[in-house]
Amino acid sequence: MMTGTTVTAPTVAGSPVTSAKPRGSRAKRRSTMLTVVLWLLALYFVLPLFWLLIASTKDNADLFSSFGLWFGDRFALGENLASVFSFRDGIFVRWVVNTALYAGVSAVGASLLATAAGYAFAKYQFPGDKLLFSITLGAIMIPLTALALPTYLMFNSFGLTNTAWAIILPSLISPFGVYLMRVYAADAVPDSIIEAARVDGAGELRIFWQVGLRLLGPGIVTVFLFALVATWNNYFLPLIMLNSSSLYPLTVGLAQQQGAAAAGGGAQALFSTVITGSMISVVPLVIAFLFLQRYWQTGLATGGVKE
Amino acid sequence: MYHPSRATAGALAGASMIALLAAGCSAGGGEAPAAAQDAVTQEQIDEALSTPTELTFWTWVPDIDKEIALFEEQYPEIDVTVENVGQGLEHYQKVRTALQSGEGAPDVVQIEYQYLSSFTLTDSLLDLAPYGAADLSGEYVDWAWNQVADGESVWAIPQDTGAMGNLYRKDILDAAGVTEPPATYEEYAEAAKKVKDETGSYISNLASNDPAQVVGLLWQAGVKPFGYDGDKTVTIDVNSPEAKEVLAYWQQLIQDDLVSTDADFNDAYYQGIVSDKYAGWLTAAWAPIFLQGTAADTSGKWAAAPLPQWEEGEQVSGNWGGSSDAVLSSTENPIAAYELAKWINNDPSSTTMFANEQFLFPAAKNVLESPEFTGQEVEFFGGQKVNELFAEISGTVDTEFPWLPFTEYAYSSFNEIVGTAIGEKGDLGAALDAWQEDLVTYAESQGFTVQQ
Repeated sequence: MMTGTTVTAPTVAGSPVTSAKPRGSRAKRRSTMLTVVLWLLALYFVLPLFWLLIASTKDNADLFSSFGLWFGDRFALGENLASVFSFRDGIFVRWVVNTALYAGVSAVGASLLATAAGYAFAKYQFPGDKLLFSITLGAIMIPLTALALPTYLMFNSFGLTNTAWAIILPSLISPFGVYLMRVYAADAVPDSIIEAARVDGAGELRIFWQVGLRLLGPGIVTVFLFALVATWNNYFLPLIMLNSSSLYPLTVGLAQQQGAAAAGGGAQALFSTVITGSMISVVPLVIAFLFLQRYWQTGLATGGVKE
Repeated sequence: MYHPSRATAGALAGASMIALLAAGCSAGGGEAPAAAQDAVTQEQIDEALSTPTELTFWTWVPDIDKEIALFEEQYPEIDVTVENVGQGLEHYQKVRTALQSGEGAPDVVQIEYQYLSSFTLTDSLLDLAPYGAADLSGEYVDWAWNQVADGESVWAIPQDTGAMGNLYRKDILDAAGVTEPPATYEEYAEAAKKVKDETGSYISNLASNDPAQVVGLLWQAGVKPFGYDGDKTVTIDVNSPEAKEVLAYWQQLIQDDLVSTDADFNDAYYQGIVSDKYAGWLTAAWAPIFLQGTAADTSGKWAAAPLPQWEEGEQVSGNWGGSSDAVLSSTENPIAAYELAKWINNDPSSTTMFANEQFLFPAAKNVLESPEFTGQEVEFFGGQKVNELFAEISGTVDTEFPWLPFTEYAYSSFNEIVGTAIGEKGDLGAALDAWQEDLVTYAESQGFTVQQ
């Protein structure tokens, strides 16, 4: 049985992408317009990153006196890095660890839950499945920010505010992930394989763990990345849930640093520190993308093609 | 990517909603503090300070751990946890949310002067007078003490202040033939014209997004736009003839293009400072240090002077910024909490450290009058003794300036109405009328009795 699955798996999982369009005609259809637009878009998205990279090499004086998109008189990246990591006895490191913990745990949890739910919606019929799925679809429309306030009040009554749970628990739920995994599982896990597994005497849970999960790999990575990015960048939820700077993720921590740089009594000119900190805070996400992007693309394509 | 400004705006809106929601849910919040009680005895204080106690202190003063360490050295039984939960409005929203949810509120909390009455309104602050604060009145500059004390009650201990002065670019003013800092507003307007004609720089900037600067200038002119009786009656008089006179003066300078109206505290503003767009800044005692951090390249070209005066020969100033440390009435350790708020703002070792390491401009006379503080020659200002100057100015700040118990609203409404008019070089007198009307409507809708 297992050999049968592994042989079938790649063709099925890969089919939405490889069988999409014949490749021969692509080279001739290259459009100058499209290329220009794409380049412009690329510039639009890359320029802020480039600015961030350049600005993190400047000291405060250069920051305000030199051209934004090129290096200043002094190359102060070293000092800036030192000030980032020495600010308040290196609390920045703590924020990095917190962010990685919140985002990592949430992403793993969210992708597992979404995969299980999506698989169930796709492969089983049970009373109320249509209704439940409609509710899930509806939930995609509600932004997390709108739920933050009710969530806060609820967590407060359980005494969970100002704990790591206050960030992790709400981030475990990903309606969009459920939707994506349902669409993906409907196609990537053929009913015939499930049938075959049943005939071989495997229980439903075992089929899910040993057969389903392997076939769903690219989809899981996609949901994982979505959840990772969402939690990594989440600002509002930790802002209202947390009071202790030792629990802050990078977003809130950096915003407070920025606040300290921008007002009256006791203000510190921390601009270059905040900018360098922001620069560091995006690096792990960039790395995660570089490593996982092929899965991400596959997953996106699948979600887009199927109905 | 990460967008602090937009995120902060959203956060503020959201946080205030939470405060409202939480207020609705938590059935009344904390208990009302016991009214005027007997004075605390020295025995009780000694006992409280030698009992192991944990205190939480919310403040955004950077590196305040150093002062706290001094305090803990003095009183080893007291363990203080410092948290920075944000700055300004974000911080206050967090305090209110914690108070209303009945959990997690700190014992001691930093509050700017103009927001104190919004906390006494909700009975959230502990009256420190019975704990010995009433005896401290002589140890702080008068006007700062009046900000924290109200009749018999003392609501906070002054921490730092922002008496206003004129920081200007000596090199630019010299080039325009203005060799003496303008002593009166009349001279200031003449100097503005010379500076603009000769050098192209603006003599200063009147920020279109900063109510505190304009209010500070009104404070100097003796205008009393706000008032609050501590109960249900507020005074709103932002469009008095005196206030209109001040703004009419600025309107003239703005419309003649002699004063710019850029938003302050953003990178365009700092660039303007470095690129000689502005030849000066009517600002506060904390600004000299702030400039050194953002405009290091212009070191040595600056000088400091008192604000121009409305009447020749007078010497009056206003205040912009500064804050105090208050004790929340929900605290379980009021004596220790008061001693913390007092000690860090009163013991010379701590107040001196605030002034020299965090560069908070002191409210405590033990620093203001110390030659070590006033004698410092600042290279950025060409060796001028800037502390000495501002210590003198601090003594000339008009001593009475009450606030509304809803300064947050008043300020955001200012930005929408008056700030917009400043930015558009519009009619500021009409803007003051509109601001007055808006504030009165708001106050009445909140159940206040309004005296105009």
